[in-house]
Amino acid sequence: MHIWKKWLTPVLVYLSAALVMAYASFRLPTLLPGDFVTAMYAGSDVTLNAEQEASLRSFYQDTQGFPEYLHNLATLDWGYSHAFMAPVSQLFLQALPWTLLLMGTAHVLSTLLGFFLGVEAAWRRGSLMEKAGVGMMTVLEGIPEICSGVLLLLVFALSLGWFPAAGAQMAYADHTTGQWLVDVALHLTLPLATLILAYLPGNFLLARAGMVMVLESFFVVTARAKGLPPRRVRYAHAARNALLPLVTRFGLRFAFMITGALVVETIFSYPGLGTLLFNAIAMRDLPLVQGIVLFSAIMVLVANLGMEYVYTLLDPRVGHAS
Amino acid sequence: MHLDMGGQIGKDPWFITGISILLLLGFLAVAGPFLVPYDPYDISFSPLDPPSADHWLGTNDGGMDILSELVFSLRNTVIFGITAGTAGLVLGVITGLFSAWAGGWADQVVMRLADVVLALPSVMVLILLAAFFQPSPVVLALALACLAWPTTARGVRAQALTLKNSLHIKAAQRMGGSGRYIIARHLMPELFPLYLINFAAKTRMAVFMEASLAFLGLFDPGEKSLGLMINYALQYYYLDIWYNWLMPPILLLSLLIMGATFVTVSLEKIFDPRLRKTV
Amino acid sequence: MTIQIKDLTIYYQDLDHALLALDRLDLALHPGKITALVGESGSGKTTLGKAVMGLLPKNARAEGSISLGRTQIMGLDEPGMNQVRWSQIAMVFQNGAASLNPVHNLADQVAEPLVQKGIGRTKAMAAARDLLARMGIDAEQAARYPHELSGGQIQRGLLAMSLILDPQVLILDEPTAALDAMTKVFITRVIQDLRRAGKTILLITHDLDLARNLADDIAVLYLGRIMEHLPGTDLVDRPCHPYTLALVRAFPFMDGMRELGGIRGDAFFRMVHAHAQEDGRTHAHVHVAAPDAVHQGGHAPPQGCLFQPRCTQAVLDCSFGDIDVTACGTHQVRCIRGGIARILSFEKVAKSFGKVKALAPTDLTLMAGEVFCLVGETGSGKSTLAAIAAGAVIPDQGRRIFQDRDMDTWMKTDFASLAPKIGMIYQNPAESVSHRLTVFDIVAEPLHIQQQEGDPEKIRARVLAALADVRLSTAPEFLKRYPHELNMGAVQRVCIARALVHAPDLLIADEPTSALDPSVQAKVLKMLLSLQIEKGLTMLFVTHDIGLARKVADRIGVMANGTIMETGAAARIVNHPEQACTKMLINSARGQDTRSPGIHP
Repeated sequence: MHIWKKWLTPVLVYLSAALVMAYASFRLPTLLPGDFVTAMYAGSDVTLNAEQEASLRSFYQDTQGFPEYLHNLATLDWGYSHAFMAPVSQLFLQALPWTLLLMGTAHVLSTLLGFFLGVEAAWRRGSLMEKAGVGMMTVLEGIPEICSGVLLLLVFALSLGWFPAAGAQMAYADHTTGQWLVDVALHLTLPLATLILAYLPGNFLLARAGMVMVLESFFVVTARAKGLPPRRVRYAHAARNALLPLVTRFGLRFAFMITGALVVETIFSYPGLGTLLFNAIAMRDLPLVQGIVLFSAIMVLVANLGMEYVYTLLDPRVGHAS
Repeated sequence: MHLDMGGQIGKDPWFITGISILLLLGFLAVAGPFLVPYDPYDISFSPLDPPSADHWLGTNDGGMDILSELVFSLRNTVIFGITAGTAGLVLGVITGLFSAWAGGWADQVVMRLADVVLALPSVMVLILLAAFFQPSPVVLALALACLAWPTTARGVRAQALTLKNSLHIKAAQRMGGSGRYIIARHLMPELFPLYLINFAAKTRMAVFMEASLAFLGLFDPGEKSLGLMINYALQYYYLDIWYNWLMPPILLLSLLIMGATFVTVSLEKIFDPRLRKTV
Repeated sequence: MTIQIKDLTIYYQDLDHALLALDRLDLALHPGKITALVGESGSGKTTLGKAVMGLLPKNARAEGSISLGRTQIMGLDEPGMNQVRWSQIAMVFQNGAASLNPVHNLADQVAEPLVQKGIGRTKAMAAARDLLARMGIDAEQAARYPHELSGGQIQRGLLAMSLILDPQVLILDEPTAALDAMTKVFITRVIQDLRRAGKTILLITHDLDLARNLADDIAVLYLGRIMEHLPGTDLVDRPCHPYTLALVRAFPFMDGMRELGGIRGDAFFRMVHAHAQEDGRTHAHVHVAAPDAVHQGGHAPPQGCLFQPRCTQAVLDCSFGDIDVTACGTHQVRCIRGGIARILSFEKVAKSFGKVKALAPTDLTLMAGEVFCLVGETGSGKSTLAAIAAGAVIPDQGRRIFQDRDMDTWMKTDFASLAPKIGMIYQNPAESVSHRLTVFDIVAEPLHIQQQEGDPEKIRARVLAALADVRLSTAPEFLKRYPHELNMGAVQRVCIARALVHAPDLLIADEPTSALDPSVQAKVLKMLLSLQIEKGLTMLFVTHDIGLARKVADRIGVMANGTIMETGAAARIVNHPEQACTKMLINSARGQDTRSPGIHP
């Protein structure tokens, strides 16, 4: 019974959260003041003809209950975007890979880099390198993605022209695979750099703090006493334990991370979900906004759920991360 | 363990730097609007003027004085941050204390609720709300607080639970102290460090959110905001306005968040003695 | 392999001062021998263990030498030290589960050193499991994580882990603290097996019972210096140093007798300030600070014995100079007086009153700071002996030495200087005081007689202090009372105050409580004993009740027919009596009277 509880609780929690999001998404349009159809696309260049209006209304109003709504979600029937003239799901799935590429690389690189730098800094505690590192990272932590992104754009793309200022790839270019990869990489560099600059300090500081605390543990003295090589003491023993607080606080940092990614994509006109969302909002394309938000949220929830289980694997002492 | 926190804090360079920055910006936010020469909504000036004696930072594309706009935006951002921070803190403390003191199933319910709210990606919910309802910034700040309370609640609850089982609280109970008395006299003062750290951290996140959401266009364009200024300025980058229109809001925003970061980091360090030895 | 520690000095450097942990320590650890290092917290025991392993924290500064066999290991660099660690010297730490990595299981951690040395994983794991099994941990338990194991299992696991590379030297830091009885026994046996296998073992502990049972020799550490080095078997029976005696007295041995006694005063920290001398060398100037005054300006108080402020037999010379180690029988002591001094020494002392031979030629030795009980029935001569010790009765024959001076000559030439050194309490309190004197006068009387103080203010101060010591009121109304207005217990306490007011070195109590009610007796005795420790008195306690003697004495002398039949440590006398008279006393105290077989309870 206890084991079931241990594994099931996180699933239930996240499932509830997902359902809350879905329900909010379901009810929200009906809560809009006035006629929601006129509220959509209001103030934008899009005008709907009678047919389109009717189909919109039927998609949202009707006697559609929540379960049907859920069914629709599951079968990728997320509505139609009249601003982009395409089904919402299609737009979403087109933008998704770019976002995954950007965010995924940013997360992996910043976590690995932050962790190693943090561990090494803590090992050299009190040295000039460590103090300088911590100082630099704290300052960096204080610069939000908006600022660093705009600065990078200004300097490296618009002034120096070393990197392209927009997009994920050169449009309508006839590239070989190799050239295409280089092209993608070039376009990826600045947004990736911005995100890494934003995520790195947090990881570094957390890793260092965790490591500092672990290094004072008795079992680290034991490890040294066993005549183990210093690198093994540092990583297999100390860092391995310092990893735990880093993972615990990972979920809490998510709010920052997603917002940052959205902003960065917008700044660099990177065709991921962020830019899509930005444009949708500008045009008040509410079905599209809904779709993006809901599914991004669900992806985040799934990722977090995964982290919970990763934590149980890392620390034999706990049931789950909370 | 009555440690000399005041003395420690006063000496920490990070704290001093951070609080100085924040005080300066706070002063600007409060007094600025009375000191600037023009009404930021006044569009009577010629647009896209470079800086001059009349307009220290020039004018934007709508003909508004940038300096005035800057100060008003700063004020809005600061208000948003403090509102969200305070509301989140209060909500979190109340829930956390209640949960710890009541115990039993009430505690379980609150904690499960906290888990669910924590799992929700707050920015998504805010975007939904902003996109559909376009509420005023204050309402959004409160909405953010409603999404941010779980972290505080958890921390408060954990410490309150430890305290609840401590000997001196039990002694007070046996002496006849009521729940209200014990919470007021013993628990709340003990949690003081938690309040400070949580407030600083929440305010920082709120400011960050406000700027980002404003940048994404989720706020009413009529509301001045640093994020919005950056958004507009960026669209005119080719006009060489980066130094008077783009950089000032970026600098101000960075300073604001940096100040909040320094204060948060310093507080966390002071109140966790294990980290005190370096920096 | 022998570990030779010479002149080891270690101190911990903080921002503006340094704390001295070990001071010129000399110790040798031999193969096939268990050496115990005992001491209280702050004595530096764990520091020594860590120093041998090269695991001192970054702020530690060390001088001196530690050598393993012929190799100097202090000051070795990390790679060099890593060669020595675990494979030649291993340590079992005192932190229990905290010494193990919480995210690796036990078997992995035990096998880890083998794997790092290049042994294949399967072989290493097999060896680890095998060793753990020998320590009583089966395969299933070996696969568990530290938080899933009990304290006893953890300790066995730690021991197994330390033996995995078969080191020649083993350092055990509190190996049996907080363990259940069975595990304690098991681990003790394992340690004995290791000794038999020829390993060099350093046992760091504050558990005197464990040290006594296991160790071949014991080094007693106080504030970083070794006070005494003695064979393990002598710890309880024959300690030579006052600190060792005090430690033994403070420890709840199962076969101990006397109530636990503390050590007066408090231990302090030793700080080091570095002063550069003219010859260019830095001289570590040791400075003494009380625990609550971590920063003290100025220089150190005069050098001398570290234990002197708390010692029961300190003389003037103890405060000066650096004390070296001297031999005291088979022990090595660091005491200017060569160990516990004799305060009183009688040889063949005898006394007759007319035809009654009260005391046959008897020997008696009193060691400084102890409580010696003379037990015997009426007529055994104990009161006579006590009176002779007090100087009240002159014996017919025999030598009497008090504090290294011949008592006869002393009393004849300079009685005034001898009298204040001995205080006496009598059996009948009411009779031992004049009913015409007030409480104040009674207590002040010795001072008047001995003219120690001329100043009435000072006399008053000393009287009040003495009354406070015995927990009597110092209010003016009370000082004006007469003995017949007080109850017996209070009067006896006034007598005790009178005996102590002139700060004697020897207190003689002749049946001081037999005329009192049992509850009063208990209070008075407890107070007397705590005063004895507070003031560092030597006490000669005369009683007919061996049960009482058992609760009060360090040593007991059983008297019968005018002579001392048997002397020894209180525990030994009561548990293993040798003489018939002793056995009779014990049995009658237990309610089994062997002289009258016709009367059975």
